[in-house]
Amino acid sequence: MRNYTHRSRFPFVMTMLTLVFLYTPLIVVAVASFNASKYGGAWTGFSLKWYERLFQDNAIWDALVNTLVIALIATFFATLLGTLAALALHRSKHKLKGIYSALVYTPLVVPDILQGIGLLLLFEIVLSTFGEWMRRTFGIEMGLGMTTIVIAHITFCLSYVTMVVLGRLQEFDRSVIEAAQDLGASGLYTFFRVTLPIISPGIIAGALFSFTLSIDDFVITFFVKGAGDTTLPIYIQSAMRRGTPAVINALSVIFLLMTFVLVFVTQRLLTDKKGLKK
Amino acid sequence: MWFKKASNFFVGLPTFVWLLIFYALPVLIVFLLTFKPVDSAGGIGAGWTLSTLCELGNPNYPLIIWRTFWLGIVATAVCIAVAIPISYCLSRMSSQLRNVFLMLIIVPFWTNFLIRIYAWRVFLHSDGVFKHLLVLIGLADESTVLLYNQWAVLTVMIYTYIPFAVLPIYAVAEKFDFSLLDAAKDLGASSFYGFRKVFFPGIAKGVWTAVMVVLIPAFGAYLIPDLVGGPTSELVGDKIAQRVFNDRNLPHASALSALLMMAVFLPLIGTVWIRKLKSRKANAEVADA
Amino acid sequence: MEILRFENITKRYGDNTVLDNVTLSIGAGEVFSLLGPSGCGKTTLLRICGGFERPDSGRVILDGVDITDLPPNRREVRTVFQNYALFPHMSVWENVAFGLKTAGMDAKRIAEAVPRYLDLVQLAGFEDRKPGQLSGGQRQRVAIARALINRPKVLLLDEPLAALDLKLRQRMLIELDALHDDVGITFLFVTHDQQEAMSISDHIAVLRGGHVEQIGTPPELYEAPKTSFVAAFIGDTNFFPGTVRRVEGDYCDLEIEDFPTLRLYNDKKIREGGSVHISIRPEKFMISLDKPGNIKPNTNLLQGKVEDVVYLGAHTRYWVRVNDWRVAVVKQHYGYALDERRITWGDDVWLRFEADNAYMLDRYAEADENLLLLPDTEEEAPTPPDASEAATASTAEGATASTVSGTTP
Repeated sequence: MRNYTHRSRFPFVMTMLTLVFLYTPLIVVAVASFNASKYGGAWTGFSLKWYERLFQDNAIWDALVNTLVIALIATFFATLLGTLAALALHRSKHKLKGIYSALVYTPLVVPDILQGIGLLLLFEIVLSTFGEWMRRTFGIEMGLGMTTIVIAHITFCLSYVTMVVLGRLQEFDRSVIEAAQDLGASGLYTFFRVTLPIISPGIIAGALFSFTLSIDDFVITFFVKGAGDTTLPIYIQSAMRRGTPAVINALSVIFLLMTFVLVFVTQRLLTDKKGLKK
Repeated sequence: MWFKKASNFFVGLPTFVWLLIFYALPVLIVFLLTFKPVDSAGGIGAGWTLSTLCELGNPNYPLIIWRTFWLGIVATAVCIAVAIPISYCLSRMSSQLRNVFLMLIIVPFWTNFLIRIYAWRVFLHSDGVFKHLLVLIGLADESTVLLYNQWAVLTVMIYTYIPFAVLPIYAVAEKFDFSLLDAAKDLGASSFYGFRKVFFPGIAKGVWTAVMVVLIPAFGAYLIPDLVGGPTSELVGDKIAQRVFNDRNLPHASALSALLMMAVFLPLIGTVWIRKLKSRKANAEVADA
Repeated sequence: MEILRFENITKRYGDNTVLDNVTLSIGAGEVFSLLGPSGCGKTTLLRICGGFERPDSGRVILDGVDITDLPPNRREVRTVFQNYALFPHMSVWENVAFGLKTAGMDAKRIAEAVPRYLDLVQLAGFEDRKPGQLSGGQRQRVAIARALINRPKVLLLDEPLAALDLKLRQRMLIELDALHDDVGITFLFVTHDQQEAMSISDHIAVLRGGHVEQIGTPPELYEAPKTSFVAAFIGDTNFFPGTVRRVEGDYCDLEIEDFPTLRLYNDKKIREGGSVHISIRPEKFMISLDKPGNIKPNTNLLQGKVEDVVYLGAHTRYWVRVNDWRVAVVKQHYGYALDERRITWGDDVWLRFEADNAYMLDRYAEADENLLLLPDTEEEAPTPPDASEAATASTAEGATASTVSGTTP
């Protein structure tokens, strides 16, 4: 006879199998990064030579610096613009609200390749129209590069920030703001002393999210980067097209560790969120 | 609040303008370029034409479009099929255990996309450990190539999108009232029947989100077929990049992108519209009662 | 002395008129309640007073000053919100000190004032807790201390007890009353619960559909309701329509269809042949098995049959059929109830009531009967009130229609 409280084991088995599926390739890479041989098909002894080569490879470090600079600038502006949009959307009852939220939210569902080609076309049109003129009048050389990458990154990151911050805004009770005003606080005082502290975990989470997305992005960057500047994903991709260079194994392990730390921090933020909710 | 309206306008303005210029305008340009001719220097010609759209009919494209669609749909179906039991499992765990498992699922999601693809290149490599294993148990021979085909593309797609599917479904499942399942059993339903008739409708909204979240990047996939696929597994995304970087045929690339966009937006708008219609109907019924 | 006055306040949301030309005057130092069912506009009126809503027309006068156009942060009123609206990221101490900080008070005086108000609401020792670490009753006290600390001219309480369970609600009600005596600040109290309003208020304004039905002290509202709505909303009652027949001095005979003619005090001075509705509270009837002797001329004596009995401990409620009418009657147990000869189903009984104990209504509406026995536990729709409030009101009326007691011919 079946127990009343019997639960099928199937979901748990499925979960475990999925985790195996998710981690096996990563573990293979991690192990390979310490293997003297190149593909891990055979263990030819423990070695740190891939890590040594990684740290000697200047091209990787240049790409990493570019990636981080882009990610930091893009995160700052995306967080700012995204938070402003969330505040506006939260308060507004205006007729334009529908259009505004479509503008903010549809980038989340537009394939990145389309955003990439669209931005490339826009930049090319602007450059071919104003580039020559700018060079002649102001002596400013305009071209695809870091600036266009940053603009593109801000654009696709800010929607995520808005989504997270707006979620946080909707979660807390609107009457708290009314209470602050009732207790004599001006609009600005209320914003800085009540609204901002309450939504700050959302803003931080949104910023972390943008930072990761920016570091992660390949496709859009690939379209708008121009000839010169390289980011880490671009570097890895071009290295991969040439073969399967084993230094990337070492790089992957470092990235994985960074991700674990980042996820851990975000989880802590989420726990904090629960505490606030009550 | 009446005295907030003006300030609200200025709070919202910068982002609005930014997105208008760097999001709405580029998308518009893509659509417009579809109807522009190409000139010999790789630029945009004058006038308007429908020839680009006609060229999409050449035998090469339908095959690629078809392949993009079926790979996307299969990948989505598999991801959803896996994500539902996982979400169920996670939401029934104790909160400590749940956090650990959730983290384990999120980590690959946050790991650099390229590194995930790279890991598969290593894993499926002809000199790799998996291949050796397959040869050892007789499922493959030395000459088998695991990479550079549709199956590799599909596998890596599923691999990358599983966390995308789990998160929205889990978010809904976590709030599901599991005593409803007990109630279903109490009323004589089997576990599976209860799952199908009570749990599934309860999480349907999350499943829809998951479908969208997986289907959209799957249709637009460029990197995965580029890196683990071969000439026989090209997708629309590869073609767009080729048209931009190899032959400099921007109208062609635009037309393909526009097609991709329609493929994403039509079902999306359809879903939203159906939901609206349903809720309006429900509201009308409430009003009648 | 008047502290707060609403003058001809009208507020609409779209086509829905939430407040229709409401005028109220609230005296300094009193507890004034706005009482009414969901959707009556009481919360909107409170929010207009707090500055969270702007009336379409009319003025709000606080202590002689027109505050209609002032934003909430520049009004000398404070609100205790229904769900308390404590700042989740601040400690109890910071929450309570908030109003003093916005007022620009220096840290030393704040440090003196906060403990005094925490003492007042019996929360000394909880300074460092976050709102999330407090029980419902404790949060309520923080909200009250936070609102009182600025010594506002009027304290607005928006259903402050609705989120608490019954026992705690009763205790907080007593505490609120004591607190009011301590601080001497005017309380404007919004509630849908007539018992809450009756027990704490000096004056009550009964609101309905955006207008004031009646303003009065609790006994006035109970004993001398002007409209069938007030009679039905505050306590239970029996309504009878009739025609005045014989007028003798202050008294008259009222002819009621299919019911014995009643002798009544003619307080409305209605002439012979005029028609009127009367309200008789269930406890005004004396029920007995034996025919009472010693009947005075102005005593009515009716004969009926018990149809339903509900034993409620302190008293028992009977429904007695008299001719074609069901009459609600309440009997208080003076003696030990088990010793009494119990009146039960099917008993033939006598009902007696004095001519002075019925009350003639100014206005009677059939729909108001539906509000009889409105469940006390019904929650008001959460703020901000909007068009849906009207919808909730109509469903609430519909839901209670079946519980009408008294006059169903």
